[in-house]
Amino acid sequence: MDMVTTLLLAFISIVIINNLVFTKFLGICPYLGVSGRIDMAFGMGMAVTFVVTLSGTMTWMIDNWILMKLGLEVTRYVCFILVIAGAVQLVEMYVRKFFPSLYDSFGIFLPLITTNCAILGLCLFINLWEVDSLIEAVVLSFGAGIGFTMAICIMAGIRENLNLADVPDCLKGAPITLITAGLLALAFMGFAGMIR
Amino acid sequence: MTFTIYYLLFTIYYFPGLQSPSYLNFQLSIVNSQLWSDAWPAGLTMLGLGSGFALVLLIASIKLKVEVDPKVEQIHEALPNLDCGACGFAGCGQYAKAVLENPELLGKCAPGGPQTSAKIADILNLQVSDSGPQKRPIVHCRAHTDDKTIYAGYEGIESCTAANALANVQACAFGCLGYGDCTRACKFDALHIIDGLATVDYEKCTGCTACSKACPRNLIEMVPFSHENMMTVACSSKESGKSTRAICKVGCIGCGLCAKQSEQFVIENNLARVDYEKYQLTEKEETAMTKCPTKVIIYRGKSAPEPLQPKQKTTASA
Repeated sequence: MDMVTTLLLAFISIVIINNLVFTKFLGICPYLGVSGRIDMAFGMGMAVTFVVTLSGTMTWMIDNWILMKLGLEVTRYVCFILVIAGAVQLVEMYVRKFFPSLYDSFGIFLPLITTNCAILGLCLFINLWEVDSLIEAVVLSFGAGIGFTMAICIMAGIRENLNLADVPDCLKGAPITLITAGLLALAFMGFAGMIR
Repeated sequence: MTFTIYYLLFTIYYFPGLQSPSYLNFQLSIVNSQLWSDAWPAGLTMLGLGSGFALVLLIASIKLKVEVDPKVEQIHEALPNLDCGACGFAGCGQYAKAVLENPELLGKCAPGGPQTSAKIADILNLQVSDSGPQKRPIVHCRAHTDDKTIYAGYEGIESCTAANALANVQACAFGCLGYGDCTRACKFDALHIIDGLATVDYEKCTGCTACSKACPRNLIEMVPFSHENMMTVACSSKESGKSTRAICKVGCIGCGLCAKQSEQFVIENNLARVDYEKYQLTEKEETAMTKCPTKVIIYRGKSAPEPLQPKQKTTASA
């Protein structure tokens, strides 16, 4: 029971309270770049979720079972990037095979998940927070992906409605998007401190 | 793999134990046995990880291989790659695939025109019949802001579709509203609202039909441009001549003067139309153009001359 509570709290924490996009400002590039339409945003979120779950788990395993054992913590960054790049390649092949239309609509953004700092950020945060069980690392990674999906979908929903809004000329396009992102981040600051 | 090799070199070069990574010391550092004994586990680990991932990806690339017909690539290259959607598919890639499976779809590429169709036919080993001249849009309205009668100021969403849903924004229920749905639909910056009227820039137009689909009043017709400039009746008003004249200075009143001059003009529902199937310019049509009381018969095209202006006298009566 205790374990379940911990995991549940970890999940809620990473999705809402420590949301990588809203509180750590990681992964802003796809967050602003692919949030034009809600269906694409959701697809991107799912792809990121898959990659982050896979790479978060893998990096925890490599970190704890190989690097720490051998005292090679300095190589952490390079190893993590290797894992992420590999995972993205895998996702790309998978999506291309089974969801060709999604593959076409992603275009350049799919390989760009490699450089999505939210993923590397999460892998390093797991290490920084001293997560010491594999299952917790898995839950945190998956939660981070879900948090990213939620953030990008909220943003896409707002931006779809923003198209119809009467925005002052000087704020059209990127400025109003950034303002919206800022307001969203502010709103999510309200959750801070809910879980210790 | 590249990562691994770079990392190995990197570790050797900048290892913390080394005093100064200057170029002079480099030769020395390589042979420094202390360094080697510290660095090899890192190198080996990275090598191991790298090869592990390489193996996984290798297996995945074989298992998840997507067979792409090389012809699809060729067709895709032959297409203009504008992804305009005129063919009815999401983009050029999808069209390339579809046309390979079903050659009857050949010739749907409006921006590419006959040339592209010929190229694709070549790839597919087909003969293509001449599909005629390329189509370009003509806006069937010539009323600028001053020519129109506007009943009420419109302050709603800046869109023709929205404005069209309201009655009486503009007196003419057929004419161009000028809120630019077509401008936004155009991917090539070839359509602009100039003084309240959608105006096609024929230099930039690719004939992708996006504007004709976007116009809520169906003002924009795709016309086969057999000449550089095409004569057209730039009005869509089906009102009676009297009502049209009352609300628009340059509307077609359906008087039939043009139809008397030339068979190419057909009057239907108080509206003259050019029959583009038998389009052939002769003096008769020129006469019809100058005789038209509201001067609604005009040229549209790349180098179209300025349209004639109706005499004040004729338009003042209502």
